[in-house]
Amino acid sequence: MIKEVHMPKLSPKSNEYFFGKWDKQPGDKVKTGDVLFEVETEKAISQVESQEDGILKAQEVATGDTTKVGDLVATIEV
Amino acid sequence: MKTDHQTAAPTEAPAKPSWLKVTYDQKKVDKMTHLLSGLKLNTVCAEANCPNLGECFGSGSASFIILGPNCTRACRFCDIPHGHPKDVDLLEPLRVAQATKKLGLTHVVVTSVDRDDLPDLGADQFVRTIKAIKELNPKTSIEVLTPDFQGREDCLDKVIAAGPDVFNHNMETVRRITPKVRNRATYDTSLHVLKYVKEHAPKTMYVKTGIMLGLGEKDEEVYQLMDDLRAIDVDFLTIGQYVQPGPKNYTLREWVPMKRYQEYYKQAMKRGFKFVASSPLVRSSYKAKEELEAVENK
Repeated sequence: MIKEVHMPKLSPKSNEYFFGKWDKQPGDKVKTGDVLFEVETEKAISQVESQEDGILKAQEVATGDTTKVGDLVATIEV
Repeated sequence: MKTDHQTAAPTEAPAKPSWLKVTYDQKKVDKMTHLLSGLKLNTVCAEANCPNLGECFGSGSASFIILGPNCTRACRFCDIPHGHPKDVDLLEPLRVAQATKKLGLTHVVVTSVDRDDLPDLGADQFVRTIKAIKELNPKTSIEVLTPDFQGREDCLDKVIAAGPDVFNHNMETVRRITPKVRNRATYDTSLHVLKYVKEHAPKTMYVKTGIMLGLGEKDEEVYQLMDDLRAIDVDFLTIGQYVQPGPKNYTLREWVPMKRYQEYYKQAMKRGFKFVASSPLVRSSYKAKEELEAVENK
């Protein structure tokens, strides 16, 4: 089954962030709690953890992209 | 001709250093956010866009901000909205006490916006909140992080009498930079607040303050501040990195390197503070529970 990963709300005051970098590549095994990617908000670099166990299927955004809360970021095969 | 780079606004912050990385577990944060919004409570974590929110909410810890969300002062370092204040919500103290219970907090931090519009400057709401927390959570230790109450001793007396375990009031920065970043607050008023509390509170109440680095302060100014604080016997000191909330705020001067935090830690401990937290992501209420435990178990 494919699960979609959407951009979480990482900062109470904004809904748009700079996408930093991927910590997992397509084909990599991911476990719940593993850092999937990094996002730059106003006050921090947030490391977003996976909420699923599975295999990273596809990355839908790239470093430097502006992403909005709720945007599709990745898919994970669980 | 000037290039774009040269004409770039000075408010453009330098790239964030790697130590500003924080982890984020969405499920845990969502759970906490849901609980807090259900109780109609504001946290300084969310209002000030704190970088530690993911970690603290993830571990079920939060700092409540009462009398908000709008502040009557517009300090240039701060991200809390400045605006017309709302009526005092007399049920807010009970909700803070209920949230403390629901979250099972063993240590709770209560702070507020500045309320220069109120006759008591907000002191009575601190008293009501402390009392409500104590009633519902007799074992929970309470830390208040107060405004300067314009230095008014009657307001300080009320909060002291309510009996928090830790009385915190932030100096924010060194003397020279204070008028550049704080609004209607002075270095001497804040020192007076800390001195008065230390002199009038029971010996068991700890007095605490915090500063931000990266505003352009020099070593000798930081050491002078430490000396000023020790001269009035302040117990705890927190030192953390200023992160510019937005382009209109006070311009970040520097990401202060880790070794300077370590040096300040050593210098502060040498001067006799009971507890010092000095690290980029330290905020005045960050891991406040661990801080109190460390001192009490000594």
